[in-house]
Amino acid sequence: MKRLDRLSLGGLACLLVLVVFALGSLAGAGGDPDAIVGPRLRPPGPGWWLGTDNLGRSMLPRVMEGVGTTLLLSSIAVLVTAAVSATFGIIAGYRGGYLNELVMRLVEVLYSFPAIVLAILVAAVLGPGQVAALASIVLATIPLMTRLVRAAAVAVSQRDYVTSAVISGARLPRVLGRHVLPNVAGTIAVQGTYALSVGIAVEGGLSFLGFGVQPPQASLGVLIQRGGTYMIAAPWLILGPGVVLVVAILAINVVGDGLRDQLEPRETRSLT
Amino acid sequence: MRLLMWWSGRALSSAATLLGVSVLIFAAVRLMPGGFAETVLGPFATAEQKAELATRYGLDQPVFMQYGHWLGTVAGGDFGISMISRQPVGAELLARLPVTAELSLLAVAVSVLAGVPLGVLTAVRARPGGGGAAGRLLSGLGVSVPEFVLGSLVVFVFSRYALGLEVGAWVPLTQDPARNLATMVLPAAVLSVFAVSVTARTTRDAVMGVLVEPYVTAAVGRGESPWFIVRHHILRNAAAPVVTLLGTITAYLLGGALIVEHVFNLPGVGSYIVQAVGRRDYAVVQAGVLLAAGVFIVMNVVIDLLVGVLDPRLGVTAGRRS
Amino acid sequence: MSLLSVRNLVIDYAGTRALDGADLEVAHGEKVGLVGESGSGKSTLGSAVGRLLPRPARRGGGEVLVAGEPVFDLPPAGVRRLRRRHLGFVFQDPIGSLDPTMRVGAQLRLVLGRGADVNVHLERVRLDDPRVARAYPHQLSGGMAQRVAVAMAMATSPELLVADEPTAALDSQVREEVLNVVFALAADAGTSLLWLSHDLPAVARRCDRVAVMYGGRVVEHGPAREVLGKPAHPYTAALAGSAPAAAAHGARLEPVPGRPPVLTGPSPGCAFAPRCALAADRCHHERPDPVRVRDQEVLCHRAGEVTA
Repeated sequence: MKRLDRLSLGGLACLLVLVVFALGSLAGAGGDPDAIVGPRLRPPGPGWWLGTDNLGRSMLPRVMEGVGTTLLLSSIAVLVTAAVSATFGIIAGYRGGYLNELVMRLVEVLYSFPAIVLAILVAAVLGPGQVAALASIVLATIPLMTRLVRAAAVAVSQRDYVTSAVISGARLPRVLGRHVLPNVAGTIAVQGTYALSVGIAVEGGLSFLGFGVQPPQASLGVLIQRGGTYMIAAPWLILGPGVVLVVAILAINVVGDGLRDQLEPRETRSLT
Repeated sequence: MRLLMWWSGRALSSAATLLGVSVLIFAAVRLMPGGFAETVLGPFATAEQKAELATRYGLDQPVFMQYGHWLGTVAGGDFGISMISRQPVGAELLARLPVTAELSLLAVAVSVLAGVPLGVLTAVRARPGGGGAAGRLLSGLGVSVPEFVLGSLVVFVFSRYALGLEVGAWVPLTQDPARNLATMVLPAAVLSVFAVSVTARTTRDAVMGVLVEPYVTAAVGRGESPWFIVRHHILRNAAAPVVTLLGTITAYLLGGALIVEHVFNLPGVGSYIVQAVGRRDYAVVQAGVLLAAGVFIVMNVVIDLLVGVLDPRLGVTAGRRS
Repeated sequence: MSLLSVRNLVIDYAGTRALDGADLEVAHGEKVGLVGESGSGKSTLGSAVGRLLPRPARRGGGEVLVAGEPVFDLPPAGVRRLRRRHLGFVFQDPIGSLDPTMRVGAQLRLVLGRGADVNVHLERVRLDDPRVARAYPHQLSGGMAQRVAVAMAMATSPELLVADEPTAALDSQVREEVLNVVFALAADAGTSLLWLSHDLPAVARRCDRVAVMYGGRVVEHGPAREVLGKPAHPYTAALAGSAPAAAAHGARLEPVPGRPPVLTGPSPGCAFAPRCALAADRCHHERPDPVRVRDQEVLCHRAGEVTA
């Protein structure tokens, strides 16, 4: 694999910092997220580098915890999506026929819902909470990934090496696992990256509306929603987690773009 | 004839999808853990209320009969009664629809007017290796800022500092169009940021795909100017993916509108649904979600027709396939 | 003065060298065939005439003069004027060279200007059926589409028409028809022709002069009959066999043992040396300079010794 370009490497570095941030919070770095450390609604300063909230808790450990919750939720959801989409996309793309028709119909139905609307429906049914957030992300990201994996699998299954593997008597799981999967892995990686950013946005949006992660647990969406209440008096409550959320999504998208450009390099022509 | 066949096939498949959507929504609410009557009426419902509910929704019948019943009433425009306001859901949705429609239309208009030129320009000027880091970062930022962050920020800035535009004082369009527009500018702007970026990116990709086509090289070889080539050869050929995107964007905007209406406190369909979920008003949730998905599906059929008109090849190949 | 003059042109694509110091002259009214295997640099040379190279291409040296004007040193507007006044292009993919979203008549009118009679131009390329003007490109056959492309390229009566394997994608029966149209129109308008082709016998029949490309250079250039009848370069000799006229009608180039080179920089010696039966030591280390053998210009250290 060729190297990622500078911008994508920068994005990757940003992500790493955020992960370290989140892990640090588990190890107790940055302080106890629930401890009251000073006066209420204080602007950033020594002792509370991102300010304090309405209870006098330091925002820094809360944002760190929030990053952890958001990243963990989104990552688990995307892993589930990747597993489901890869399985159904590959089988549908390779086998075609009724199975393909069925999978594509289901995907089409899911695809008809805007992500946040689907998330709201899920939250309405399952009740607000982490499980709803997780399920929402999975359901919102499955359609696109399944479609693209299927398209890639259709293209791959017509190639010679697959045909020759089939002719030489390889069994189906082996053909799919050894020959098809590695060739759609790039698509899964790129779409998984994008799905991660969608996941973070969906978790944020859902929690922001009050139907996702529930306080006192912190997630970036929860923090932004809480911050909104005191926005005029204490804008840092929303700025800290807001900036971190945007940086996380941006970093992931940039990495995704870099991966995609590598997978499908673009040509251009001059009009002059 | 072949085109007609294709279009009717497309319409049929969309109807099937819509049916699937309705099944999903019905099942989601009806098969909720805790039971439908319990969820809808709460734990303190009287036997009388339960009986009324049971006759209204045909709860004593098999599930698929219940679904048929529900579908029948929905198809007739009856979305049930809101558990909170005790008003017909259909009428309430209809009353709130103009706000959401105006918001989405404004955002679509902005994303086409700004996104398409931006995409064409950056594609025509693109260098091998994918353009400057600054441009990529900027276009990346556009798709990376969620409405609830941007919206909260805008609300903060505009309510903290007097910048001429009011926040949170919505005025109906029919009452005072000028003031209505003034209150819609900010929400529409927030809503359109993502759409503009996605439109610009899609346009850029589409135009770059067309740029390497032989007929563009042929036009360059005839000594045509870049502007002439863009106008006569590139725009129409690159239009299909961009127009298709508009369908997806519509769906996206409906979702985004939900958040933006909530943040800016606008009385649209989106904020209605959000409130309904908070109050467990399931008739409203069902109807709202069905509406969102329905608009998306119908929009996509319309877009397909449009794309078929734009590219004479599509109708034929699609006709052959079916 | 030549109409087209390419001097020591070097073109690089990211990492590979497509042209390694190519020279070519085309006089007014001349029909020149440019032959060579795929990857020899034909298409790059053809595109370079109108500065139509794809974006990653860079000129590493040399120049292209069309009607005395340096194509690569002109401002964009100057190149466009040059293309409009002096140049016409026809490409390999006939249907691809037409805009798929526009009817043929509309495309021609775009080139001819408003009020022009599209049918006159279609009749010139022997497309008499009035339905052609109303058709979309995908509704045409390859041969019809290519004739439309020829009509568009010749609409302005350019001084030089560059035809990059215009018949490569067509059936053999249609090939002759399209070539007849191209050569007839060119003769009528006094247009010079640079025809990039694989088809050696056809080139021998139709062209005044032939230029043979190998490894990004024109290795032999001279009157068609001479170059193909009495080759002075070992590569031409291998291509042509001893009697090109005897080759079957429409036959492809006879394969030469070995593979054509992929250059990443200037070739240290003669690019053909690894496949050449006559190669001597200096062929591998010393770039050959043009020498004159009979009526041909040849890039070969041992040009005098080739006996066809």
